[in-house]
Amino acid sequence: MKKHSKIFWSYFRLNFASALEYRASFFSQAFGMALSNSSFIFFWWIAFGQIGGKIAGYSFEDVLFIWAVTSSGYGISTLLFANASELTRLIITGELDTFLLQPCNVLLSVLCSRTSLSAYGDLIYGFILMVIFYGSNRLAWLWFFAGIVLFGLLMTAVVLTAHSLSFFLGDASVIGTLATEFLINVSIYPEKIYAPFIRAIMYSVIPVGIAVHTPLRLFAEFSLLPTLIAFMVAGLYCVLAATFFYRGLRRYESGNAIVTRL
Amino acid sequence: MAAIVTENIVKTYRTRIKSEGLSASFRALVKPEWTEVEAVRNVSIEIEKGEIVAFIGPNGAGKSTFIKMLCGILHPTSGDIRVLGMSPVKERRKLAMGIGTVFGQKSQLWLHLPPLDSFTLLAAIYEINDDERKRRVGELTELFGLSEFLKTPVRKLSLGQRIRCEVAASLLHKPELLFLDEPTIGLDVVVKQAIRELILRDNSERNTTVFLTSHDPADVENLCRRAIVIDHGEVVLDSPVEKLRSEYLGKKLVEVSFSKPQTIPDMFGVEISTDFQGLKSTLAVDTKMRPIAEVLETLSTIGNVLDITISNPPMEEIIASIFREQEALNRERE
Repeated sequence: MKKHSKIFWSYFRLNFASALEYRASFFSQAFGMALSNSSFIFFWWIAFGQIGGKIAGYSFEDVLFIWAVTSSGYGISTLLFANASELTRLIITGELDTFLLQPCNVLLSVLCSRTSLSAYGDLIYGFILMVIFYGSNRLAWLWFFAGIVLFGLLMTAVVLTAHSLSFFLGDASVIGTLATEFLINVSIYPEKIYAPFIRAIMYSVIPVGIAVHTPLRLFAEFSLLPTLIAFMVAGLYCVLAATFFYRGLRRYESGNAIVTRL
Repeated sequence: MAAIVTENIVKTYRTRIKSEGLSASFRALVKPEWTEVEAVRNVSIEIEKGEIVAFIGPNGAGKSTFIKMLCGILHPTSGDIRVLGMSPVKERRKLAMGIGTVFGQKSQLWLHLPPLDSFTLLAAIYEINDDERKRRVGELTELFGLSEFLKTPVRKLSLGQRIRCEVAASLLHKPELLFLDEPTIGLDVVVKQAIRELILRDNSERNTTVFLTSHDPADVENLCRRAIVIDHGEVVLDSPVEKLRSEYLGKKLVEVSFSKPQTIPDMFGVEISTDFQGLKSTLAVDTKMRPIAEVLETLSTIGNVLDITISNPPMEEIIASIFREQEALNRERE
């Protein structure tokens, strides 16, 4: 565990140092992502201004909460485990070789050996929303933190599972992209706007509902059982994703593409 | 003690086949056809600790597949592998502590950061404490002459500087066994020689076993004491380099250009082929029969020489010679 923590921390420092090598690119991507997210909030502000009250059972503050959790949760996942969404490329080009040659946990090294510059913008944006609209509401912050941990874990697990299909199918990058889009789309709108079928998926196959909408409900009214279930499901999905990755790794065929580490 | 022992290693891939054209693509969508490719066939070898062995063969011969099985990246379809007394399939992580790798096509250094940062990460991966890391990086910096560019981002290094850092990175944890897959690819002759000297020095100082693949005959000649030749996944020759040198590497190619068409006189031990109506000739010189100096002297007496290049025969040609000899031996036996 100590060794894993040291490797994780080393990768984090190296990724951050690598990002800072191109300061202009880093700040423009991070700031650009925060700005892009703001445009959606502006849309919601207009919508609530016109309609007033609640939309599909969600107030403006509720929408801001799920936005904050989604943005920071997505940021955490892509900041610490950006290679989950690059796994298909790593499999196809044979880049997993580098990780298999090292005396450490392959999955941990693969996941945390890359970061996304725009992830810093996503992560910070959620915090900005919380500071502006929830201020020092400790309970809101507690469920916000619970939400970003749950979202980060679930998103990493789901994206990892989708891309691990590349071990079996050859190229599952489209499935990976669809899974990511599904995760985000169902997280940033009130859940009741979706058809029952989609809501069923949100709480079963891709249970992102427990990471965003459940914390919002628990913030309004705490209940121990849903809290425990949410964390247990997130943990279970991580275990299943790791198991699926290692099953696929047995089928890995390597490759001879010319590779550099960015 | 043997560093590497393999017994009847076979690696088979299942590959999709598709005929040419769009209609064939649609057919393959509905009813895909598969074929099995044997990348490695019954390879059994034994390499002692401290040996430097060349593993050579043409492109697609199965060299990289075999090395990847020895490192634990790929699993053999059948057969048994023991590397440093361990099974790469079952003990990959433990084995990785004892081996170092330089794959010319795959960098273990981070492109945007200085080599020093990559060394720090590798030290964490190989469980090297800070004091040991500083001492080891200092040793390697001195040995490999890295001090000038240790803090320069890798993307700004020349290929030669990068490869020196790659080899240094692979030696950071003092591996007992070093796998080098095309370590000198793309380097100029001076840097190639420097890399070879560093590998030889590590071998003599720490008795490191070196398993090398290369398309450069000079790597084989200058580094290795034994060569294993593989083609179509099978070992076709396992011989001391001294024997390989006397039988196959003793040939040199001399390419000569003239300002006016010339006829080169026949020389014993020299095969001459002429192009462009006598303006350009290639001489395959068997140096056992005729010293290269005599050939150059003869060419200079002809006159009108514009340019002369001396090179080793390509590895493919050496391997082709080995095949021709093997076939002749088989015919004799029959």
